[in-house]
Formats: sequence, C-alpha cells, structure tokens
Amino acid sequence: MIYLDNAATTLHKPEQVIEAVADAMRSMGNSSRGTHSGSLAASRTIYATREKLARFFGCPRADHVVFTCNSTEALNIAISGTIGAGDHVITTDLEHNSVLRPLYRLQDEKGTAVSFVPADRQGCIDYADFEQLIRPETRAIICTHASNLTGNLVDIARVGAIAKAHRLLFIVDASQTAGVFPLVMEALGIALLCLTGHKGLMGPQGPGGLCLREGVEVRPWKVGGSGVQTYNRSQPPQLPTRLEAGTLNGHGIAGLSAALDYIQEVGLETIHAKEDALMRRFYAGVTQIPSVTVYGDFSGERAAVVALNIGDYDSSAVSDVLSQDYDIATRPGAHCAPRMHEALGTTELGAVRFSFSWFNTEEEVDAAIAAMREISQ
Amino acid sequence: MAQTPEINYYILFANYTHGLALQELLSRNHLPSRIAPTPRSIQGKLSCGMSLLVKSEHIDAVRACIRENQAEYYDIVPLPCQIQPRRDKFC
Repeated sequence: MIYLDNAATTLHKPEQVIEAVADAMRSMGNSSRGTHSGSLAASRTIYATREKLARFFGCPRADHVVFTCNSTEALNIAISGTIGAGDHVITTDLEHNSVLRPLYRLQDEKGTAVSFVPADRQGCIDYADFEQLIRPETRAIICTHASNLTGNLVDIARVGAIAKAHRLLFIVDASQTAGVFPLVMEALGIALLCLTGHKGLMGPQGPGGLCLREGVEVRPWKVGGSGVQTYNRSQPPQLPTRLEAGTLNGHGIAGLSAALDYIQEVGLETIHAKEDALMRRFYAGVTQIPSVTVYGDFSGERAAVVALNIGDYDSSAVSDVLSQDYDIATRPGAHCAPRMHEALGTTELGAVRFSFSWFNTEEEVDAAIAAMREISQ
Repeated sequence: MAQTPEINYYILFANYTHGLALQELLSRNHLPSRIAPTPRSIQGKLSCGMSLLVKSEHIDAVRACIRENQAEYYDIVPLPCQIQPRRDKFC
C-alpha cells in the first residue's frame, strides 16, 4: 500500500517507537500508583517524556505538560477549562470539529459568543479580521496552526502577537504541525498548546498533550483517580495531576518518547524539508492534469497536504478507486472540517486529501500522480 | 538494651511529577535519595503517593539543594525506622 493519509495518522512509525511500546508493555506498572519498580518504571518514563516535550515545544515547565488521549481531549480541556458564560471567543473557518464542537457546545449550553475569521475560496484568512472581531468581553483566540484539509498554514506568531497586545488567551491546535514545524510556545505567545502524538510526531495512537504557559488557570475537564491526595474530595490543584485524572497511557507515552528521540536524531528541518518536497512534487504533477482542481494556497510555507477533486467526481468514489485499483490510501469526504469545505465550495463533492510523511518516497508520489492521470482520463 | 532506631527523612509531594523532579535534581547534585511510599502516619492532608527517603547524614545538604533551586515539595518529616526485618533478633 502507498499510504498518503498521514494527516489522519502516520501509519509508518520509526522501528524504535514500536520497540519502545513493546518494551513498555513488558515492564511497566501503573504510573503514580506506588513505588515498586514496575510503577516507578512507568512514572520515570512519563516524567522523562514530559521533560522532552517541554524542551521540544518551549514549554517553561515539565509539570505544565499534561498528557491527554489526543488533540481533541486537549482542546476540550483547554476550551471548557478557560471559557464560560459571558465570554467571547474568536476562531477561524479553518478549524477541525475538535475545536468547533466544544465551542458550539459552549454556545448552546452557556451562551458563549463565538466569532469566526472567514476563509476565502483559497482557504486563506485576513489577519486584520482578528483585530476587528475583538470585543471587551473577548477571552481567547483559538486557531489551528495548519488546516487539516488544505494544508494552509496560519501565521501563529502574528496571531499570538495580536492576542498578546489585547491580553487574550491564545490557544493553538497543532495537530497537523507538531513534529514537523518548529513550535516554541513562549516565542509564539501561546498560552495553551494542544497536540497529538500519532501524526507528525510519529508516536503511537493514544497519547496527546496539552502544554500550559505558567500562570494560565485551567479548570479540570475530568476528575477522578490521581494516585495522590486520596482523601481530598477535589481533584488535586497541582499540575499536571489537576488535569490528568485516571491511568495514563504509559505504553503509548513510552512510544512517544522514542518518537521524540527519533525526530531529534533526524532533525525537524530535515523532516519538514522532505515532506515539503514530496508535497510540492505531487502538486506540480497533479496541477498538469486539466480536470483536477487543487484547493489551498501553495505560495508559501504550508503543511504537506494536497486536497483536490477531479471534475465533478464524488471524492469518495475517487478515493475508493485509488484504494481498490491502485492500493493508494487517501481520505475523501469532509475531513471533520465543515466550515473549511463551505468556504472552498466543496460541501457537495467533498475533496480527496493526499497527505505526506517522512516515510513517503518520490516513487510513491509519482505513482499517485500517474494514478490520478489515469483516473481523470 | 534496645538499639536507638534510625531516623529517616521523608520529603513529601503534591504529586509524583514534583517528586521525580526533585529526585532528578538531587541525583545531579550527587545526593542520594530513594523513592518510597509515604508512611501513613505522616501523610497529613496529602494522603498516599510517593515520598523521597533521605538518610539523616544527607538531609542538610538536601535541604540546601532544595533552597538553592527553589524546588517544589510539600514537607520534610523525620520518622524513626519502624520495621527492620534483618535486625539481629537474638541480641
């Protein structure tokens, strides 16, 4: 199989990630649940991974790295833990449902006001809109670093500067960029960074993370077992325990730790350069096919994603033919990004998304271009 | 004559993350400590969790290290060692 659905998850993982998960499954007890060697093996691995993530994302303190199941959980914690009734939030049309649905729920249940920075037909936003949408009761700006549909990048340094100037919380969804683009929380003015471990970070599915700037108060989204302060009726107030109820995915976190080591060994810039080159090679190939429409802005820095359609073919049919006849894995449909599809005018057809990873090759890209040419004839 | 029990010092924490952070700091400063369950008698408000057990000969240096680095901890409690299974039972 030629796997080009890396925006959903990277299927090919570094061998050391797989080994780390298997080793952890043979040796780990439950972290923060006792002081025998099995429990401490888990606690130490998780602590070391917090430290690595803090260094990787410029988070000032390791105990401000909170493990979650995925980006969706991190975003739910960040959004529901900081925003409430009477608040106003600014977000964008580029967002995934992991941002939209928590916000819609706040709108419906608490009357929170939400404004959207609109995207144009290319999926681009006008940064002046952020300033124009700010009100006295605005509490936060929440935006993705890159659209999971078009791959368009948001200049989060610019948005972070706007948030800082107006003393707003800046919450970033880095699902599509963590592990591929440099992300330094402090430099970018990010208050809460939400990420998942199984996409660009090349870890196993399961662990994600929420990194908090010091001083940002987040109410717990879930409460329960913590391994400490048993007779306290409330969730312990200290981070990371405050936001981590229940057993952590120690096995997955061990894999994520190995993945972070792998990325450090290879180099973030090297990974980004290869993914970018593969994506642009594919773009150059498919834009030569007359009936193909490609969505998004390819003029500058972007994530390694190309979304397209062939004429008026249903995107699901195209993706199915790619899978059945060419053994090429892509993602059709709406990609949990309803507002982005509305902006692009693709709610009827959906789009076929090709997304590239460090483990793809030029030969695979060329095979995908050839398949697209054949299907479009 | 009964032997005077050895005094151990238990450093208590709000969570494991802070405990592991301090043990790493102590280790970097060549100060020995061992992760141990927190004895019930000294848990106070914290109740359960981990502590760092430090021998009396190292406690002053450990306190100094904590002060210098403003490390997070909840309390430091001395406690006589209650159980000594390998003691000489026939003396």
